[in-house]
Amino acid sequence: MSIKEIPNRIRIRSTQDIRHYLKSYPFKGLTDFFMEYESRNRLLPKTEVYKRMQSTLIVMKESIAKGKAKVNRTPSGLINGGCHTFLNNMPNTIHLMGEWFNTVIANTLAVSELNACMGRIVATPTAGACGVMPGAFLTICDKFSIPEDKQIQSLFIAGGMGELIQINASLSGSQHGCQAEVGSASAITASAIVALFEVSLDKIENAAALAMSNLLGLVCDPVAGLVEFPCVHRNIVGSVNAIACAQMALAGLTSPIPFDEVVSAMKQIGDDLPASLKETSRGGLAITPTGLRIQRKVRDEDPEKAY
Amino acid sequence: MAIFDIIGPVMIGPSSSHTAGANRIGYMAALCYGSPFHSVEIKLYNSFASTGFGHGTDRAIVAGLLGFKMDDERIPHAFEIAKKRHLSYNFRKSYKRDHHPNEVRIVFNRGSNHSFLIRGVSIGAGKAKITQVQDDDVEFGGDHAILLLNYQDITGMIGFIGGVLGKYKVNVAYMKSSRNALIGTAMAMLKLDEECPQDAIEELKRHSDIHRVISIRKLNNEY
Ligand code: SF4
Repeated sequence: MSIKEIPNRIRIRSTQDIRHYLKSYPFKGLTDFFMEYESRNRLLPKTEVYKRMQSTLIVMKESIAKGKAKVNRTPSGLINGGCHTFLNNMPNTIHLMGEWFNTVIANTLAVSELNACMGRIVATPTAGACGVMPGAFLTICDKFSIPEDKQIQSLFIAGGMGELIQINASLSGSQHGCQAEVGSASAITASAIVALFEVSLDKIENAAALAMSNLLGLVCDPVAGLVEFPCVHRNIVGSVNAIACAQMALAGLTSPIPFDEVVSAMKQIGDDLPASLKETSRGGLAITPTGLRIQRKVRDEDPEKAY
Repeated sequence: MAIFDIIGPVMIGPSSSHTAGANRIGYMAALCYGSPFHSVEIKLYNSFASTGFGHGTDRAIVAGLLGFKMDDERIPHAFEIAKKRHLSYNFRKSYKRDHHPNEVRIVFNRGSNHSFLIRGVSIGAGKAKITQVQDDDVEFGGDHAILLLNYQDITGMIGFIGGVLGKYKVNVAYMKSSRNALIGTAMAMLKLDEECPQDAIEELKRHSDIHRVISIRKLNNEY
């Protein structure tokens, strides 16, 4: 088969499309494919695209440090120094799994809390789910001293998988519930973790499919309409799930339903979810007696409620 | 949308729509207005009104008006900075079903008889659109450079505009024009690949039947 020149616009709708491109054009692997994708579609040189991911990675790392550096509190009281307390109490608490498990929890909490407190984060893929990638992926990069270049490459692959979700469903809680936010974050994080160790599209796809399948049906029901609870704690489910699914995929387990079909299922479930469970705070935890009490308190404290 | 919308944008939390998107409306509104200002009235609609306080929507908009982008760590301090820069603002809230869930109306005031209205909506993932400039219905985000013209509704205007743009080799990606029969004006909204050159803008402004020319650069790759 003759190798053609890479086209000026690359369009993908499925993992099948990616396989087709990789077979038919002279891409230097999966990372190169997604870098070309971004570079061609944004009309930016590949070196710029790479640099931009590099600076994004730096912000992501900083967000862990910043989130841990202070006691994060919000006016609603829903975020009340959780990460700080967790770290402080650790020496006197039983460690259910190893040290690194606790680091995953602490790092995820740190970034999610920082976000709730108007800190600077990378919305991966959204602000509400921004703790998952740093909490799981960066903690593993740290644990295995992964070189920066490898981390950047894996983030391109995660971004590409997220792009497929974005194209075929959505990444927004108001459209498809939290499965589209924390679910998607978990899926792309699982794929990034696999890519650190094995750039195999099959394994990357399996990890993402399993991670997304596990969180299908997750509703969006934030108390008082704020990106605080259950969002922050839900990020940890995303992190832990991402690591577990990456581990399974690396060990050769496969998802019976392919990634593309899992994404369609997510969309269909999200479309079927009632509006009350899609970021409107008219259902779920938001309308429990305590949830409603907190909502009243938050609205009363709004200094601008008078107008 | 593409990979940097998935791994990104870098932004100040907590909400892509209620903080980053709101900030972007303020930022684009200030670019549209295009001159210095010291007094604005901001009206928040629906979800922006009910949960804006907890999401810092108010501060994010003021920060955008001050020229701070969505990743600027000064956003939480926007009110104090506005005070130092002598920008006065006030907020109102409105709950109306016929408005977008995340909508803002910004009115720039100068003296007692000059006001300039801009309306925008936050559409998720940190993206926003301007939907109204004064009496003209428009629709643009940061994907293209924008040229907005308001002129007397007389024949030959589109031809004149096209001629000027052609002369300066400006490539038009999209164009929409409409008229406001009530006041006899028309508007044209053009989406361009590159920002319109200053000389072309000056030439358009010199035409006595063109009332207003607004030019905004492409913002997408800045975030
Ligand atoms: S519960 Fe809703 S607001 Fe919170 S992270 Fe999930 S999707 Fe976002």
